Amino acid sequence: MWGQYSYGLFVVMVAAVIAFFALARERDDLHKLLLLDLVEIVGLGVIALLGTDLAEALILPGLTVGIAELLALSQIYCTKEGIREMPVRGLNIEVIAKADAPLIISIFLVTYGMILSGFTGGAVAGLGLVVLFISRSYREDLNLLEMASGISWALWIFAFFVFMFLPEYWFVALMLAAIGILLKVTVKMSLVGTMWGEQHD
Amino acid sequence: MIDLIGGIPYYILEFGDELVYFTPYTITLFLLALTFTVLVIISRPEKQVDIAFGGDAYRTKEISLPEMRFRRFMAIACGLASMGAMVTGDIFNFALFTAMVGITNVGIVAAVKSPHVQDAAYQYGLVALAATIPLFAGAAVYAAAIGSLSMIELMKGTLPAVPLIAKAMLVIGVVGEGMAPFYAAKAEMFRAPGAPYVIMCSLSSLLIFLRVVEIVMLG
Repeated sequence: MWGQYSYGLFVVMVAAVIAFFALARERDDLHKLLLLDLVEIVGLGVIALLGTDLAEALILPGLTVGIAELLALSQIYCTKEGIREMPVRGLNIEVIAKADAPLIISIFLVTYGMILSGFTGGAVAGLGLVVLFISRSYREDLNLLEMASGISWALWIFAFFVFMFLPEYWFVALMLAAIGILLKVTVKMSLVGTMWGEQHD
Repeated sequence: MIDLIGGIPYYILEFGDELVYFTPYTITLFLLALTFTVLVIISRPEKQVDIAFGGDAYRTKEISLPEMRFRRFMAIACGLASMGAMVTGDIFNFALFTAMVGITNVGIVAAVKSPHVQDAAYQYGLVALAATIPLFAGAAVYAAAIGSLSMIELMKGTLPAVPLIAKAMLVIGVVGEGMAPFYAAKAEMFRAPGAPYVIMCSLSSLLIFLRVVEIVMLG
């Protein structure tokens, strides 16, 4: 077991060294950031190599921290280079906007996500909605969706309190948590890119 | 038998896997972080004064209120993250708090409009982002090699020895958040006006380095 882990570590190290070498040669600030993101994903492999439930629990915060730093740095990059707001208006390709394919794909993904349920299901269903939103270029008020996300998040937290203080109702809590996280992740994912750069009072 | 560098813990709060403990060493660091956070909350920011060299002319820099509010918020967040890193008894949580200190350090100066400061913050952010990789990898190797992330378990001395590479990665990760060889970009960040907030950048890395010394000595 330790042998396999060491081999995996070795592969990750080699990948990281290659990426850091590229980083040392790169001069463009934006490319540096992108390369670092690549190294970060490779680095998560070290945690993933643990191959236990603990690894999954550790990867999520690791990934979140990485994304948070990436967002913060890209924001600073925009300010630093004086890049102004650029509204994103979907794909704007007539064929995609008129065709049925995005609708079919998104219905398939959402249904599959509902069956999977939980965090993974939420991500799959959310991806389906992202496909639809990007291809159809919706212009609607998405505040309601945001609110739904917040409420389902509260549901998820509530389910955790049930786990902690009323463990005999674990099944209800399990269902609440599964539905809550499914809704929350779906909604959050579908808002990615859709609420791009909109100002709210 | 608990024998450790920071002294015998006064208090251990166990909440599932998440545990918090106070030793004479960590409580000192915690109080320091707490004091500075309170100072940041109550103090009024300074206005930076530029003096023309060789003459009598000087001018103060005007800083808008929303900018100052944001920076105060980030400084408080940085203080909270430092406090968390001081008292946590879990190596992975320590890694998370350290990464959070890195982000908030960028945040403290991110609202400053000066291009020098922005550039320095960006370069520092790149280093901090790179440093999160050995930081989390170090914590993961801890878990892989000794089967636990709990510092209390480490103190008991019943676990196998921690491999040197895990300790080295953890230290490199912390060093990347703003210690000696990577300090250059961070020093440039201190050009940002607003005294109590900017000092939080420096203090947080100092505290985190002091804490990682204890963690490395444990295993």
